[in-house]
Amino acid sequence: MKHSSTHNQHNWSLIYLRDLLRELISRDIKLRYKRSFLGILWSLLNPLLQLLVLSLIFRIVLPLDIPNYNTFLFTGLLVWTWFQTSLYSATGTIVENRELIRRPGFPAGILPIVTVATNFIHFLLALPILLIFLLFAGIPFSEAMLALPVLFIVQFLFTLSLVYFIATIHVRFRDTQYLLGIALLLGFYLSPIFYEASAIPQQYQLLYRLNPMVTLIEAYRSILIEGEFPGFFGLLLLSIISIILLSIGYRLFKYGRSRFVEEL
Amino acid sequence: MTVPIVVEGLGKRFRRYSEDHAWTLQETILRGFKRHKADDYFWALKDVSFQVPEGKMLGLIGRNGAGKSTLLRLIGGVGEPEMGRIATHGRIGALIDLGAGFHPDLTGRENVFINGVISGLLRKEVDQRFDDIVQFSELEEFIDSPLRTYSTGMRMRLAFSVAVNIDPDILLIDEVLAVGDSAFQHKCLERIDEFKVKGCTIVLVSHDANLVDRICDEALWLNEGQIAARGPAEKVVMQYATAMQKETQKRTPVNQTSKKPDDGTGLKINENRFGSQEMEIRNVQLLNGAGDPVEHIESGESLTIEMEFHAAQAIASPNFGVTITREDGTICCDTNMPASDLGLPVINGRGKTRLRFTRLDLAKGTYFVNVGVYQKDWTYAYDYHWQVYSLRIGDGGPEKSLLYPPQQWEIETDNNLD
Repeated sequence: MKHSSTHNQHNWSLIYLRDLLRELISRDIKLRYKRSFLGILWSLLNPLLQLLVLSLIFRIVLPLDIPNYNTFLFTGLLVWTWFQTSLYSATGTIVENRELIRRPGFPAGILPIVTVATNFIHFLLALPILLIFLLFAGIPFSEAMLALPVLFIVQFLFTLSLVYFIATIHVRFRDTQYLLGIALLLGFYLSPIFYEASAIPQQYQLLYRLNPMVTLIEAYRSILIEGEFPGFFGLLLLSIISIILLSIGYRLFKYGRSRFVEEL
Repeated sequence: MTVPIVVEGLGKRFRRYSEDHAWTLQETILRGFKRHKADDYFWALKDVSFQVPEGKMLGLIGRNGAGKSTLLRLIGGVGEPEMGRIATHGRIGALIDLGAGFHPDLTGRENVFINGVISGLLRKEVDQRFDDIVQFSELEEFIDSPLRTYSTGMRMRLAFSVAVNIDPDILLIDEVLAVGDSAFQHKCLERIDEFKVKGCTIVLVSHDANLVDRICDEALWLNEGQIAARGPAEKVVMQYATAMQKETQKRTPVNQTSKKPDDGTGLKINENRFGSQEMEIRNVQLLNGAGDPVEHIESGESLTIEMEFHAAQAIASPNFGVTITREDGTICCDTNMPASDLGLPVINGRGKTRLRFTRLDLAKGTYFVNVGVYQKDWTYAYDYHWQVYSLRIGDGGPEKSLLYPPQQWEIETDNNLD
């Protein structure tokens, strides 16, 4: 029941994994920008259009009376977009890379990381626009921004753990992406993207906060808009949960890997 | 010293999905606890054990679905065997799924880097080998153009060039030698020879038993997942070829002698005609240089063998073969149409194929031209005409000899013994 070999020594070295990650991510990014005429603008267009529509609705049609609403909204949209696009691409992670997975020595476990990292880069590319929003709103940059990388890491781990699950399940159930679409649509309304979490009635707060995106989006806003370090406890809890999910998800993925080879 | 590849008692089981296997979550839920046909399992490989010593080349032969590719992938660490053990030592290079990760929108250069890293090289190493890779592929002029502007042959050349530039200790090859033109194929075979000389251990999967005989040290014949024979390549390939003949005999329809009208060719099923008859060779003519049907040529003249064929059903990539034998059955010449020359991969209906010998330097005597058309991976013959078409060669030396090439005698003497 085992395949003992020494040939992976090289393949699994950290330098090799770094090189592989770099090549696969740059392939994805190059392809995105070579294919579309608008290039980099394209990945900004989606959150910007959403911003325009939601901003019109909740400042004019149904005023929400949240200060710095555009900045508030754009922060939520960007964070959510990174999360959502990663999960959407997760369904294709295995199925679209079948040749890679069937190659001897290819560490298939790297593919979900590529998916989340590629979308992280799009997120980073959009960040300067958010900073411009902050400037226009007259919000000063604070030292709390030093904590941003921590948020990136926590969100990365949380998203990655879900990507491992979704990628594995999609191989077994080919309609996963439709269900995922529904789940993400619900998730969008159940996360404080265009409204404040405090608007949820007190008796539902505990239930509401089971959604990890609540903690994450609030933490981003606390750093960027309020200039305060986010609550430590919530993020720690989320990190622990993410790491547990990640180890389960990765194991499931590895277990599924030998089946991917046969089912693709 | 450790043996690079050790396989012990290997067993691999696959699931065969039943027709009503639920592929979606929706179906699974809707169906609930209702009973449905269960998936069944089959063993793709059973109790396979062998070792490949360092620097040796093993050829895996067998018909489609015999488990050759599964075995090759398992050696490469793709998939988990249900039973037994595989141990490999050294860096594995694979000529399997060439061009995995290639993308048409990226340039040749970008693709070389991605493919090189995917094949197990560090970026730095790809950088160092880049010039060698491009040179080997002979694509210097196109390397900065997008891959979508390349022909299929060019893509395969590029993929192969990356693959052979990774200095593996173990090389796994799956049917990829059929890429490119014959000059490039020759270059690839040469490169494989170089690997062998350097001590690289190679496993090759091929439908082409002759290729295995030619370039492998040992061969392993897999039949329905089990080892049917293993040993020196020459011996195993011969056993395999013999078994194929038996298969042909088994499939030759019996009691059909009367059904097929005798059309004057003297063809009789099971006497001089064998094969399943799914595809038939109907009319065979031997033509001389002027294109006239002949039964007699002089030694050194040209000869064209024209076969009309007819397939009543769609036949995928059949193999055509011609053998010239002496009356006693000694084979003088045995040749097959290279798969790449077959214009249509699927034949359905009638057509003609011609084999032209520019010159036939056989010695004087009576020969037979045997023609056949075979199933895609040579498992059995569709139609094989044996000792039907005779050819008389005149004017070519003594009958005892086999060859009578163009020749000149010269004599120089120094016998002035005065």
